[in-house]
Amino acid sequence: MAVKDVLIYPDPRLKEQCLPIINFDESVQQLLQDLVDTMIDAGHSVGVAAPQLGDLRRAAVVDVSKSKLGKKQENHGLLQMVNPEIIEKEGTQIVREGCMSVPEYTGNVTRSESIVVQFLDHNQQHQVIRCDGFEAIAIQHELDHLDGFLFLDRVSSLKTDLFRRKQK
Amino acid sequence: MQHFALTIIGRDRPGIVSQVTEILFKAGFNIADSSCSILGGQFSMILIISNPNISTTEDFIDTFKPLEENNLSVFIRTLKPGGEIRSELEGELCMISVYGADKPGIVFQVAKELGDRHINITDLNTKLVGDKLKPVYVMMLEAILPLDTEIEEIEIWMQELKQKLQVDISVRSLVVMEL
Repeated sequence: MAVKDVLIYPDPRLKEQCLPIINFDESVQQLLQDLVDTMIDAGHSVGVAAPQLGDLRRAAVVDVSKSKLGKKQENHGLLQMVNPEIIEKEGTQIVREGCMSVPEYTGNVTRSESIVVQFLDHNQQHQVIRCDGFEAIAIQHELDHLDGFLFLDRVSSLKTDLFRRKQK
Repeated sequence: MQHFALTIIGRDRPGIVSQVTEILFKAGFNIADSSCSILGGQFSMILIISNPNISTTEDFIDTFKPLEENNLSVFIRTLKPGGEIRSELEGELCMISVYGADKPGIVFQVAKELGDRHINITDLNTKLVGDKLKPVYVMMLEAILPLDTEIEEIEIWMQELKQKLQVDISVRSLVVMEL
């Protein structure tokens, strides 16, 4: 059990491209446990990615089942993902996101509505699952961290976007 | 540090932000929060600024003269201590859309329903759209509901207002996904 401090931007590690995990050793199990512990400790959080703890390996955890919004939707509960990869995307939705690593700022982000993600789970089993709604958003957000993207890089509109459309 | 609210408005054209911020930068001001947008044909800027060496407007009253000479109107408000800090707003965020045939009083009557119930409007945009013969008024607002107010209650109040104003109103919870 180890709750770690979540890095806050401008920590440069949040903008790094993370490396794939090749040896699934004890340190990977430890990392997954730290991610889960930190996510639970953070109360409001539904996911944490390894670089947010300063570990530049491709691992993230997501669990929307405890959140007010997530538990109303179909979800997979706790997902512990090593080398996760989104292999299919469908539809788009605009959501307002916030991030523990960028406190006090939220922005409207366009995300895919439905995704198929593949990863190795904590038992080193290869998983391929389809996720929708909040869970899909959370996974896209966490996986962005593994490539050094923050939601700030994805903000698609200011609040007044509605009025910006060019009129005929 | 003393903070000021600076408002600048003028006919929209390229280069306004550049001219304003060059003056601020060269005079040693920091821009904390700001919001700038086109309203009608006017570009409007609202900025919270500070400068460690400046404590009263007299110290920099002439700084913005070049803007006035370029047909921009400048207004400076001196903030009271702490006036630059946003107070912690607790409660559910909700979004209200109001739209319909243009008529006087749409904004006021919606705002009054909310204000009377101590509901804090945090963002508000309105725009007149549609053709000249059939203008449509669109208003979008975000508000924070006090802890004892449920979104369903707002829906009920807005339902009544919808009848009264003969406009369409929808209310929805605005979920910020904290990730």
